[in-house]
Amino acid sequence: MHKNKTSIIGIFITIVILIGLVFLSNLKTGSLSSIENIFSSVIMPVQNGYTYLKNKISGNSSFFSSIESLQAENDLLKNEKSELEQSLRELEIIKAENETLKDYLNLTQKYTDYKSVPAYIISKDISNYSKTFVINAGANDGIAPNMTVIADEGLVGYVISVTDNTAKIQTIIDSASSVTASIGGSEESIICKGSLEEGKLKGTYIPTEADISEEDQIVTSGIGGIYPKGIVIGKIKTIEETKNILDRYVWIEPAVNFDKLETVLVITN
Amino acid sequence: MKKALTIILLVIAFIIIYFLQLNFFTWFTIAGVKPNLFVILVLFIGLYSGSKMGTVFGLSFGFIIELVSGSVIGGLTISLGAIGFLSGYLEKNLSKDSKMTVMLLVMIATAMTEIFSYVFRILIFSGNVEFLPFLKTLLIEILYNMILTIILYPFMQKMGYKVEDIYINPQILTRYF
Repeated sequence: MHKNKTSIIGIFITIVILIGLVFLSNLKTGSLSSIENIFSSVIMPVQNGYTYLKNKISGNSSFFSSIESLQAENDLLKNEKSELEQSLRELEIIKAENETLKDYLNLTQKYTDYKSVPAYIISKDISNYSKTFVINAGANDGIAPNMTVIADEGLVGYVISVTDNTAKIQTIIDSASSVTASIGGSEESIICKGSLEEGKLKGTYIPTEADISEEDQIVTSGIGGIYPKGIVIGKIKTIEETKNILDRYVWIEPAVNFDKLETVLVITN
Repeated sequence: MKKALTIILLVIAFIIIYFLQLNFFTWFTIAGVKPNLFVILVLFIGLYSGSKMGTVFGLSFGFIIELVSGSVIGGLTISLGAIGFLSGYLEKNLSKDSKMTVMLLVMIATAMTEIFSYVFRILIFSGNVEFLPFLKTLLIEILYNMILTIILYPFMQKMGYKVEDIYINPQILTRYF
């Protein structure tokens, strides 16, 4: 019974193959050539590889004789490559150091009146509500609490505490920070407070007679005992007028880009 | 031995999260707001290893973060310690297998941590209260933490069961057998 079933299937397959062959052999040449193309595109790479290997093994004796020299050359090139990579790494380190030193130099030249210590930011506060950071200079470098910290563009903040080798800085954009400032170098003082509004300062207590406009520069007034006079804080971005002129305030865009800040100067005198 | 290994793994997780918070999440923000993965980590420790471990890890992690990052020590230390304790305390009454429950816990824990840290900062520095900007930041941070919980939940659950077998289940077995 089982044998009969198998033979019936066999027959069926044979009939299918036969019909297939008949069908294919009676197709037009063009259609057949497209099938040939598909086949050849699959087979040709294999065929080429096979022919290449056959030629190398049987006909081209130099293929084997030059292996040793190629190996030696390869080793030499590998050594050269690793040496070059090492040199590249060293150059990158030197380049980074050079850029840091250039930053320090720019800062020092800009604020020649002040005696200062350059430093690098090593850690930032992870919280969304405070904007403090730690620098790689401390009491051993002559840094003490309440010293002013500046960057190339302007005021950064002040030192709130120190250890022997590090110092914690509270930036002017911290919501707990407040700086007495003057508008455009005039005698009119305002208070610049840090805010939770991303990277902005809020300028309050604006004198009623003060003539303020957007893009006015805000600089430290020197009042308060921490910040020296004349350091750039930023520019007025928007003026918020209120019903009572005493309550009006301004939003100030800091001169320093705190997101990209890496090097700072701590004024020690 | 297994307990020591678990502690080492949790410390490694803390270090990884610290560097992610310090680097990756400073630019990968939602409207300038960073998530707080430490809250999720401490909550996870409390839920799967109990109050004692949760409190110890919460207090330690909070203290280290504040010490290293230059914040005022206290706000985050106390709030993370409290989250560790409370999550361990709630562990018996809540289903950790429910993603919704864990997300709700993350929401409450994030709100607790940030409100406490913010109030603590204002009291220390006598800063002015900015209610609306704070609320906006808090809501975005909660949302960010919840999204991260959805992504991390399968991994947290898998790891959590292993931690639970080491810290909680042996106690239950000795109690009944």
